[in-house]
Amino acid sequence: MSGGRETTLPNGTPGPDPRPPAGDRRSRILGGGGRSTWVAVLSTVVFFTVIGLLIVNSSGWPEVRRSFFDAEEFAYAFPEILAKFWRNVFIFSVAEILVLLFALFIAVLRSLPGPVFTPLRIMAAAYTDLFRGVPTILVIAMLGYGMPALQLRGLPDSDLFWAIIALTLVYSAYVAEVYRAGIESIHPSQIAAARSLGLTRGQALRHVVIPQAVRRVVPPLLNDFIGLQKDSALIAFLGYTEALLRAQIIQAQDFNFTPYVALAVIYVAITIPQARFVDWLIARERTKRQGGGGL
Amino acid sequence: MRKWILALAAMTSLAAACAEEETPPADEGSPSSVEEQTAAECTDEHTADLFAPDTLTIATGNPSYKPWYGGESEPGSEWKSGEFTGDPHSGEGYESAFAYALAEEMGFSEDQVTWVAVTFNKSFAPGPKDFDFAMQQISVSPKREEAVDFSAGYFDVNQALIANEGSPAIGVTKLAGLKDLKLGAPLGTTSLQAIEELVQPTQEAGAYPDLDLALKDLKNGQLDGVVVDFPTAFYGYADVVVGQFPDVGDEQEQFGLAFETDNALVGCADIAIEAMRDDGRLDELKSEWLEVDTSVPTFS
Repeated sequence: MSGGRETTLPNGTPGPDPRPPAGDRRSRILGGGGRSTWVAVLSTVVFFTVIGLLIVNSSGWPEVRRSFFDAEEFAYAFPEILAKFWRNVFIFSVAEILVLLFALFIAVLRSLPGPVFTPLRIMAAAYTDLFRGVPTILVIAMLGYGMPALQLRGLPDSDLFWAIIALTLVYSAYVAEVYRAGIESIHPSQIAAARSLGLTRGQALRHVVIPQAVRRVVPPLLNDFIGLQKDSALIAFLGYTEALLRAQIIQAQDFNFTPYVALAVIYVAITIPQARFVDWLIARERTKRQGGGGL
Repeated sequence: MRKWILALAAMTSLAAACAEEETPPADEGSPSSVEEQTAAECTDEHTADLFAPDTLTIATGNPSYKPWYGGESEPGSEWKSGEFTGDPHSGEGYESAFAYALAEEMGFSEDQVTWVAVTFNKSFAPGPKDFDFAMQQISVSPKREEAVDFSAGYFDVNQALIANEGSPAIGVTKLAGLKDLKLGAPLGTTSLQAIEELVQPTQEAGAYPDLDLALKDLKNGQLDGVVVDFPTAFYGYADVVVGQFPDVGDEQEQFGLAFETDNALVGCADIAIEAMRDDGRLDELKSEWLEVDTSVPTFS
């Protein structure tokens, strides 16, 4: 996960917030009010017009427009790809549910105190290191082509099954770290307080730490889920016809890259609302904290 | 810095190409001189369109598969020959042998042929190409013609179904009998189109980035059969050649060389290919490098 997101995890002692209040942002982007607003608008328009003209007037533009922005090809490819995109939706929805559960399990293993649990902690740490280190497509390829070859009885050999397992394994490693950051952000005094009330260590974890930790990690968690949604496209490598593979088939048949643009449009359409939702959650969390600080 | 020089070189060669295109109208008055031109003379005239001076640069995939590419790997070659793969430099295998014959016809010696490995997508991606043409069993189609310029077809091809012992596909002779089977093919191939358009299966066709991967799933039992081009079917990729498909679409499917659009060398390659067709060299290559069993039934 990205380091920048860590700041969204409040630690026990609220420090000064380096960012301006949300209300200021708009005017910041436009550069203040009055005359400077006009300068901002003008410079923006000029800047993007110049870039646009540079692209459109480059010698390769007609060729690029034909192969990436062919309206007819788009009209043909878009519905074909969208029809297969529901498979991606299914894949990442199932994987997200599995990730939520499995990653929490890993994070809890890693957070278990006491020397007795050392082997479990080592296993959990090795797991996260391994699956954060190996490129997702390799995990998908190894499971997707390797497991069916084993011909193990009772295990399904469908590409879909192994792709979901692969995505779950990889993203659980990331999300487990997110959870762990959340768990560690809960001030030890909370556990001490819970223990003093007579809760066992396990009960304190279950009733005091985890509920708070999970709530705090929702924004970075959603970020990882956006990554997972995009990576559902990697299943194309197994020959399972989801949206990317459909796009590749059309592209290779017609020698035209417009289907990729069509798929990009679909992805952007689903990820941008989620990104805004995350922003909103962060903003809400911040105002809550600031409001709560006065009590 | 290097990039700028390259870009500059590309621009000047483009300018040269444009300039050349303006001259031909004068020639058109005397068609006899054009008709009698040999491929080598034609190439001489259009050397400015060559990617590298005095060199015929040919792009193909890596790995390159038998029976199109065969022989042993040359020392230092990036192509590794194996059970199913060959090295384009060897001059063995249909396309490799054809390439050297074509180069000779166009006035290049064996040493003047350079091979570059490109992915299938790269062979038709927009922008200047770093090769003269791509030769990778690329089927000609009108839609593809918008992105590249195809030479005359150098090989007539159709598709065939291969399967391993025990597959329900074995013994099937009708397209309808294939409907409920799980079939696969490399993506971007006419093989895949044959499944989708001729068989119209109830289970979706598996589309694979490479033939290797389709064969892997055939071996795993995830596929009942794989569709490949007819000559490929006989090279031990699977136990049985079940049958061949009728034409996909209305026309005979052909492989063509894919050039960058407006590359004048297409015309020279055309002259060479027609000459090789007329004097029987294409047929000779076919009988030398492709062992097919024509008695394999055609699905009806």
